[in-house]
Amino acid sequence: MSDHVPLTTDRPGQVASAAPPAPGRSRRLGDRGLAVAFISPALLLLLAMSVFPLLWALYLSFTDYSATRGGPANFVGFGNYTAILTSAQVHTRALTTLIYVVGAVGLQTVLGFGIAYLISRRTHGRGVLTTLFLVPMMLSPVVVGLFWRFMLDAQFGVVNSMLGSVGLGQVEWLTRQRTALLSLVVVDTWQWTPFIMLIALAGLTAVPKYLYEAASIDRASEWFRFRTITLPLVWPLLLIAVMFRAIEAFRLFDLVYILTNGGPGVSTETLSFHIYKVAFLGFNTGTASAYGILMVLVVIVLTQFYLRYLNKLKEG
Amino acid sequence: MRLATAAMLLVATTMTACGGDKDDGAKASAPKAPATIPELTKDPLTLSFIWFDWPPAKALETFANAEYKKERPNATIKVNTVPNANWHDAMFTQFAARKTDFDIAILDSQHIGEAVTNGNILDLTDFVKKNIDVEAYNPYLLAAYGQYPQAETGKRDENASLYGLPLLGDTWTMIYRKDLIGDKPPQTWDQMISAAEKCQSENPGVSGLAFHQANGSDAAAVTYNTVNGVYGGNLWDSKTRKIDGVLNDAAGQEAMDVLVNKMKPLTAKGSGNWFIDEVNAAVAQGKACIAFNWIAASGGLLDPKQSTLGTTREQILDKLGFATLPSQKTNLVPLGGMGMHVSAYSSTANQAEALNFMEWFERADVQKKWAAAGGVPSRTDALESPEFLNAGPFNQVYTDSVPRMRDMWNVPEYARLVNIENTNVNAALNGAKKPKDALDDIAKEQQGVLDSSGRKGGGGL
Repeated sequence: MSDHVPLTTDRPGQVASAAPPAPGRSRRLGDRGLAVAFISPALLLLLAMSVFPLLWALYLSFTDYSATRGGPANFVGFGNYTAILTSAQVHTRALTTLIYVVGAVGLQTVLGFGIAYLISRRTHGRGVLTTLFLVPMMLSPVVVGLFWRFMLDAQFGVVNSMLGSVGLGQVEWLTRQRTALLSLVVVDTWQWTPFIMLIALAGLTAVPKYLYEAASIDRASEWFRFRTITLPLVWPLLLIAVMFRAIEAFRLFDLVYILTNGGPGVSTETLSFHIYKVAFLGFNTGTASAYGILMVLVVIVLTQFYLRYLNKLKEG
Repeated sequence: MRLATAAMLLVATTMTACGGDKDDGAKASAPKAPATIPELTKDPLTLSFIWFDWPPAKALETFANAEYKKERPNATIKVNTVPNANWHDAMFTQFAARKTDFDIAILDSQHIGEAVTNGNILDLTDFVKKNIDVEAYNPYLLAAYGQYPQAETGKRDENASLYGLPLLGDTWTMIYRKDLIGDKPPQTWDQMISAAEKCQSENPGVSGLAFHQANGSDAAAVTYNTVNGVYGGNLWDSKTRKIDGVLNDAAGQEAMDVLVNKMKPLTAKGSGNWFIDEVNAAVAQGKACIAFNWIAASGGLLDPKQSTLGTTREQILDKLGFATLPSQKTNLVPLGGMGMHVSAYSSTANQAEALNFMEWFERADVQKKWAAAGGVPSRTDALESPEFLNAGPFNQVYTDSVPRMRDMWNVPEYARLVNIENTNVNAALNGAKKPKDALDDIAKEQQGVLDSSGRKGGGGL
């Protein structure tokens, strides 16, 4: 028999710490042991699937290892990092990625917030509208890429067909330098605007009604109410959504792979797409690992700055 | 403190795990297949192939299960397919894991160097000597699908090792609209461009030319290489491993100029990402006067269900003609097709079965049956047989093209070389780069890849 822990205590001010262990429970497996036993499978899985590969990639990033060539992983110090940071090819891809992230996330934020604002003002059919707007977000990016590829086809695509019916000429959406990147921005915006909309809608719904009522009593204009009540209260939440979307957009791969394959030439190759080529065309695993680690570092550093700004905003 | 200890333990484990690979270096050469086929199992066995998804893959599975089973009833053939764009990655990521779910890899001829250098496929030299009648083939065909180091164009080095045997021969055919440009196909590249120009101007809505321009796989690269060959250019000097100054010499520049400034304006708007399927679609819908495509992918053009050119095969053939490529300064044509290679990581029983399958497949009677089933054989007797020549209107084109073939490089760096060429040719075709700049960039970047073997870090950029 195990010893029973008293439910009450003689000492005033002290509360009984825990319920008695179940009959038959091992003496050795205390509360702490039980907690470890429950957490360890998830912890091991996390270590095996995330932490271990990350550390392995970190190690490989300092070597010239190739997954297919085998052979020893020779230590090259910061050689891979220096080569990546000084490569003109990487600079080009970084600029492409930057233009894409700013263009896509900017457009999504404006549209997403606009749609959310319009929906929040409706009293009827709000649920149905929200659900309908969320559909693109639920589709696989590969599926989205494939049907947009057909829709944007210069010869047979529905987009050019519609442009033709209103007297406009054919546009080479996916095979010209400027339109190809624009097409990626448009397709990504189509798919991910609902995400911003959803977060913005949550923020708009949470704005206390009495603030608007007070503003109405003061005969505040619509624009004044938006500028001084709605936007400041929704802004922090919107910025979090922007942060998530920017991180996602920064590592864009699938849409590029399906829609343009990085073309024409390399004009729509993003950093992630370039890593894929370094990793799998030449199987330069060491370089690709360093490239990946650098991308993670960029995201971490930028996110830290961003979060600090958000905290300041919150404190303010 | 505990967290730090755990982290150190994890790093140590990581280092230990990585250190295990250091022994692989000594094994980085292709293991040898036995000269004699080992005893085969009597238990049920599945012999797996890996290829990309296209009609010949389905044809091979059907043919092999129907015919090979007569000889080996316990064996089932499974041809696993992946999209063309993932073909190289699908094979080589498994090779990298030193474990494959396929026994026979169907490699593009240019993949051989990478697979041999990494020790991913068996050395078949002794096996071929004992089991295959090498005299039955055009020497270059046998070399192109198996020899490493690469043979000179048109030749085979009998002292070099063989790592594969031909599965499917292929080259480009010129597909032309007989009803629009006449029964007689253009004989020179200049005549072909003139005919396409005239046809386009006389037939609104129909473009003069359709060819591969995409930046994936080897699409745009093969197109440039073909024109380069026809205009007397060279891809490299294999002995000195020199590309810069060879590819972008006067002949190479002329070829790029012809491709971008004379041929591209005759293609449909937005065709800058076209590959096999898009070119076939344009022909089948009557949207192109002259097109270029791989013979092995042209069968669908004769299917009335997929064509607007006629309701029967005969009606379609009244309008479509198939011819060998026009010549100009040379008569070179691109070598396509693939060979069979035995995975070094397959089980012993499956490797034995794979060798037996290859020996069976290369027999004269089986090659003719493969031809009749829609395949493109490689043995000369099969290529000249009625079974092959009567099986498709483009088969004579293949037989006539065999002595004219030229391949790309099959060095281990192939995947990077072809990517550089694809992206730059695609950029030139779509106005993202000037033709001369694109060609100079190809030469410079490819040379950089060949010269970068001793580089400390940053390989692959």
